[in-house]
Amino acid sequence: MSDAPRWRRYLRLVRRDVAADVDDELAFHLAMRVERNAALGMTPDAARREAMERFGDVNHVREQLVAHDARRQATEERTEYFRDLVQDLRFGVRSLRRAPAFAAATILTLALCIGANAAIFSVVDAIVLRPLPYSHPEQLVSIGTGAAAGEFLALRERLRSFSQLAAWVEQTHPIDDGQQSLRVEGAAVTTNLLPMLGVAPQLGRGFLDEEGQPGKNNVLLISDAIWRTHFGEARDVVGKRILLEGVPHTIVGVMPHDFHFPATTTEYWQPGAFNPSNVGATWGVWDKKIIGRVASGVSVERATREVRDVWPTLRPLNPLWDPGPDYRRDVAPQPLQATVVGPTGRLLWILFGCVVLVLLIGCVNVANLLLARATARERELAVRAALGGGRGRLVRQLLAESLLLSVAGASLGFGVSDLALRWLLAAMPPGIPRANEIAVNGSVLLFTAGVALATGILFGIVPALRATSANQRPSAAGAGRRASRDAQHHRVSGVLVAAEVAFAVLLVVAASLLVRSFTALQHVRLGFDSSHVIAARITPPNGRYRDTSRVSALYEGLRGRLGTLPGVTSVAVTDKLPIAQVVYGAALRVQGQYEDAKHILPSIGHLQDITPEYFATMGIPLLHGRGFTDADRGGQPLVAIVSQSVARRYWPNGDALGKHIAPPWDSPWMTIVGIVPDTKQDSLRDTSRTSVYVPWAQSTLRYTNEMWVVARTTGDPAPYAAALRSVVRDLDRSVAVSDVRTMEAVVSDSVRKARFTMLLVGAFAAAALLLGAIGIYGVMSYLVGQRMQEMGIRIALGASARGVIGLVVGRATRLSSLGAIIGLVAALVTTRWLATLLYDVSATDPVTFVTTPLLFLLVAAIASCGPAWRATRVDPVRALRAE
Amino acid sequence: MSPRSDPNDLLQGTLAILILKALLPGSAHGYGIARWIEDATADVLRIEEGSLYPALRRLEDRKWVSSEWGLSENNRRARFYNITTAGRKHLRDEAAVWLRYSQAVTRVLRTAPAIT
Repeated sequence: MSDAPRWRRYLRLVRRDVAADVDDELAFHLAMRVERNAALGMTPDAARREAMERFGDVNHVREQLVAHDARRQATEERTEYFRDLVQDLRFGVRSLRRAPAFAAATILTLALCIGANAAIFSVVDAIVLRPLPYSHPEQLVSIGTGAAAGEFLALRERLRSFSQLAAWVEQTHPIDDGQQSLRVEGAAVTTNLLPMLGVAPQLGRGFLDEEGQPGKNNVLLISDAIWRTHFGEARDVVGKRILLEGVPHTIVGVMPHDFHFPATTTEYWQPGAFNPSNVGATWGVWDKKIIGRVASGVSVERATREVRDVWPTLRPLNPLWDPGPDYRRDVAPQPLQATVVGPTGRLLWILFGCVVLVLLIGCVNVANLLLARATARERELAVRAALGGGRGRLVRQLLAESLLLSVAGASLGFGVSDLALRWLLAAMPPGIPRANEIAVNGSVLLFTAGVALATGILFGIVPALRATSANQRPSAAGAGRRASRDAQHHRVSGVLVAAEVAFAVLLVVAASLLVRSFTALQHVRLGFDSSHVIAARITPPNGRYRDTSRVSALYEGLRGRLGTLPGVTSVAVTDKLPIAQVVYGAALRVQGQYEDAKHILPSIGHLQDITPEYFATMGIPLLHGRGFTDADRGGQPLVAIVSQSVARRYWPNGDALGKHIAPPWDSPWMTIVGIVPDTKQDSLRDTSRTSVYVPWAQSTLRYTNEMWVVARTTGDPAPYAAALRSVVRDLDRSVAVSDVRTMEAVVSDSVRKARFTMLLVGAFAAAALLLGAIGIYGVMSYLVGQRMQEMGIRIALGASARGVIGLVVGRATRLSSLGAIIGLVAALVTTRWLATLLYDVSATDPVTFVTTPLLFLLVAAIASCGPAWRATRVDPVRALRAE
Repeated sequence: MSPRSDPNDLLQGTLAILILKALLPGSAHGYGIARWIEDATADVLRIEEGSLYPALRRLEDRKWVSSEWGLSENNRRARFYNITTAGRKHLRDEAAVWLRYSQAVTRVLRTAPAIT
């Protein structure tokens, strides 16, 4: 049937079923036989019977034939399809080679857009989409944070939906590897945590059950990174004893290189030891994080419901105090993956949305190019149609060409994505979860292939349909027909331009909101002077510094030695460095107002221990009263300095000096001796503004010996880093120094994530703006080219150059306005997703929403100026003759 | 028999030869082929007419026969079969083999002692 007539193909297009053909053929046979039998003189009944007898089993034959024909038809269709496809692709390659500039422009645009998409997608895939690298990660549930050990033990006993529960606390301790003391982040974990995650050490062993008991937990597992950098990958590291907090611990194993739990910065693990007989430690410290593995056959929903039901019933168990009726009403267990990814997930989806918009704009541009090209190829297409190319076939041919372009773009884009990914990884702010897992893998490849296919169809289908429909009309039609067809083309181009501008406006609005909020962050009043200040974190090992007098001596020595360095004007020690760390709020008793600890006390920003020179060093001016002096030490009357907001809140009449405040626990009153301005505490976005400062020498509530040292210098503070380290080393080699940075670096590091987001979205917006401008220029050039004759007539009839320019530029700005309005509406709906990333700028910031469309009108005007100027150069005589 | 033939019984090959021979003068529909065989063999070889069609499909698969829809002598839609060039060649080959074979068998049967 290879030489079947044409009409059979169309019959097959509507899928006439083969059974009908078989029935026709057999029915014809039987009818003929019956007729002959009748002609031979048989009765109608006998004639039919005889015919059936001669034929045999009709149904069996019929089934055989239908099965055979269906099989054959499928094979033929497949062969025909591939033959056509190969032909279409060959044709596509030939016609693209005839238009190298067009092909290059298209492939390059697509490569950049698809490459950026693949890069961002690989980040989204690694962090948000891919399951965690643990066994049966879907069963892992983050049950809660800030739990007491007693709560963990009680939950472990009561929860039925979980096969296992584990807990951990993040901790930071100085580790002495033999050469130097390092401040290293780690975690104290229950001994079952690693087996529960399904992870085993690459070297050595995991924790034994008995190592979870107090006194037996002086063992460590170390990270692959520490093993490489500090132990030179020595296999005999197992069994080695190192100092943690000055106490010897035995290394029992090395974890695999891809194990980063709970954070990418975790470098060691230690068994957390619970001692239920120590009531204070078991019920008074609320710092544990609990995860669980849901028992098989139990849904995560049921397990989380059980946690929400059971946890509040533990209220009477706390022997120390009654946690109140709201106790654990707000627990929100969630899949571990959601906890690990955290707010980064939303940020990534926003970035992904932005890069998809860029891709859409790229597609529109390519569609415009194809449209212009299809018009230029009108004659060729007309000939092909005349030679019997059906519309479906021509559309397929044009689509094959655009798929060819998108596949070429995607292949090149894959290389682009590799470069982009490298840049992303280098520029990414620290602390992004699972950043180590980012890689180009199978799913990224699949995604890129999918995008290539989708874009090929997306930008190819409109031009293909348009080109072939214009084609249905005779190409030698009169001017009237041509004009109407041109009008249609123009409408399509117009829609494409408007769509492009709409996408770009959306992106530019998002970018300018981020830029404005970043600028706002840069101009935040810190309350202190960050210039000429260097800071460092000092961590003395607790094992050697149990005695507070030793701790005081260390910091006194440090203050003294640093103060004598040339160029250092003042040195101070503080337990909290602004902007560098999370600051937890504290409650406050106020004499005469909130005295009773049983009342709910007002929460203030934080309580900070400082040495007398702190305000001078940080450049915080004293507004009223006096600062601290070395005379404010233990045994002397307790004093405090409060920030302006604290003073205003409790003593609105301005008589805060001399009043008394105290922390909520059982502690004596402190007298307010001074007032300082508000400072930003845990971040630039901090709005609490309230601080209470107390002299470190009087502080009785030291959780830790770890302090920050800050020094003000006359010149650039950065070079003092080395001197600072060596001063500490000379005092005590076992004291770890970390986070040595200038205050300016501290401030700028704190906005790295905001800067990263802004730069990335800004880059996308810039690309969108550029692509948009190119798109408008392209369409206007094309339209002017198509309307040469009209322009010629207008000029011949006396239209001024200004009139012609107005016509072209006017059309461009009208189209852009339409797009801008659509884009603004879309932005109004979508920018609230950005709200959490913004600072001091509303998600519907009027300035942004007014300037962005104006920007696009300007871009449209500029982009259409070139084509408009060309329109004025049209020679009327030649334009008229050309037709 | 030729190695290309179905490893079926003798009748399969015979039927193929009969069909190809029937198509030699010109195109015919299935019923026409059945009638030709009926006449040509004086209804000695009473073949089951239904088996003609699967046989025709097999011949078509081997490209010995082609088919197309057309109108019958009494103006009905019918499927007409044609012998192809390859079909003619196959028929020639098969016929030669068949004739040699039957001559040999005939000669064997004619040798003494005669069958009673």
